Amino acid sequence: MGLLAREIEATGVTTVALALVKDVALAARAPRFLYLHWPFGHALGEPGNVAQQRTVLHDMLTLAVAAPRAATVVELPYRWRRETYPPIDDWTQPSRAVLSALP
Amino acid sequence: MNSGSSGAVRTRAGSLNELVARWITNTDRGAAFGRWISKRAALPQLRRLTGGNIPWTPLRKRVSECTVVLVSTGGVHLRTDRPFHLNGDASFRVIPKGVRASDLAISHQAYDRTDALRDINLVFPIERLRELEAEHVIGRVAEEHYGFGLMGSAQKLMGPIRDVARRISESKTDLALLVPA
Repeated sequence: MGLLAREIEATGVTTVALALVKDVALAARAPRFLYLHWPFGHALGEPGNVAQQRTVLHDMLTLAVAAPRAATVVELPYRWRRETYPPIDDWTQPSRAVLSALP
Repeated sequence: MNSGSSGAVRTRAGSLNELVARWITNTDRGAAFGRWISKRAALPQLRRLTGGNIPWTPLRKRVSECTVVLVSTGGVHLRTDRPFHLNGDASFRVIPKGVRASDLAISHQAYDRTDALRDINLVFPIERLRELEAEHVIGRVAEEHYGFGLMGSAQKLMGPIRDVARRISESKTDLALLVPA
């Protein structure tokens, strides 16, 4: 994942990658990672939980704009099923979860 | 192959592999083991392959003007395409923008695909991305998206990765979203 991000970014395309293993995200030295402590095969969340999936996409779009420098790894605070994911009212506004976790 | 309720199909792995994949995905202890294995496999290779400067391309446009591509390493491909080899496959597959879940298959044995077969967006959020295009949150969904399978050797992946990077860059894409297994 990190190698993909690095090579795509090197061609002049902005990348945001999700990670489910924090140490691998840190070691990859990739441009922008969002880390989620969620089960493998569930990077966007649970089946049918559209609000949760859209939350992750909103976070990815925010990081695409807001990451201050290369090798930004943001740890998202979501506690898997013990979390409510409110709908995003205004997509022009950045994700507070991402902004507050930026280095 | 076996159908999930979204219509995507799974390439069957051996029964022992399926048991391990379920354990890794669905239990705390299995997840800890899966993370440990990932680290063991990835960290030495990453140290070798990621020296030097980190590439950096700031987003040049507003998100609402960007063309966005998906790259998934969850083993997703068109069901009419050759499945990924489950024990390791460095090749990639192209998935068109308008694909339906029932046109897709998952060939991967390192995670439990049950939920991803019910909702392909967990590993390949193409339906969510098309919604964002319709809502004008993003500019456009790219015409072609990319799927990779399971591959232990990072070195063998570098050629196909560079091919995909070139294709994405030549297609005038602004932003790539990368989703792991």
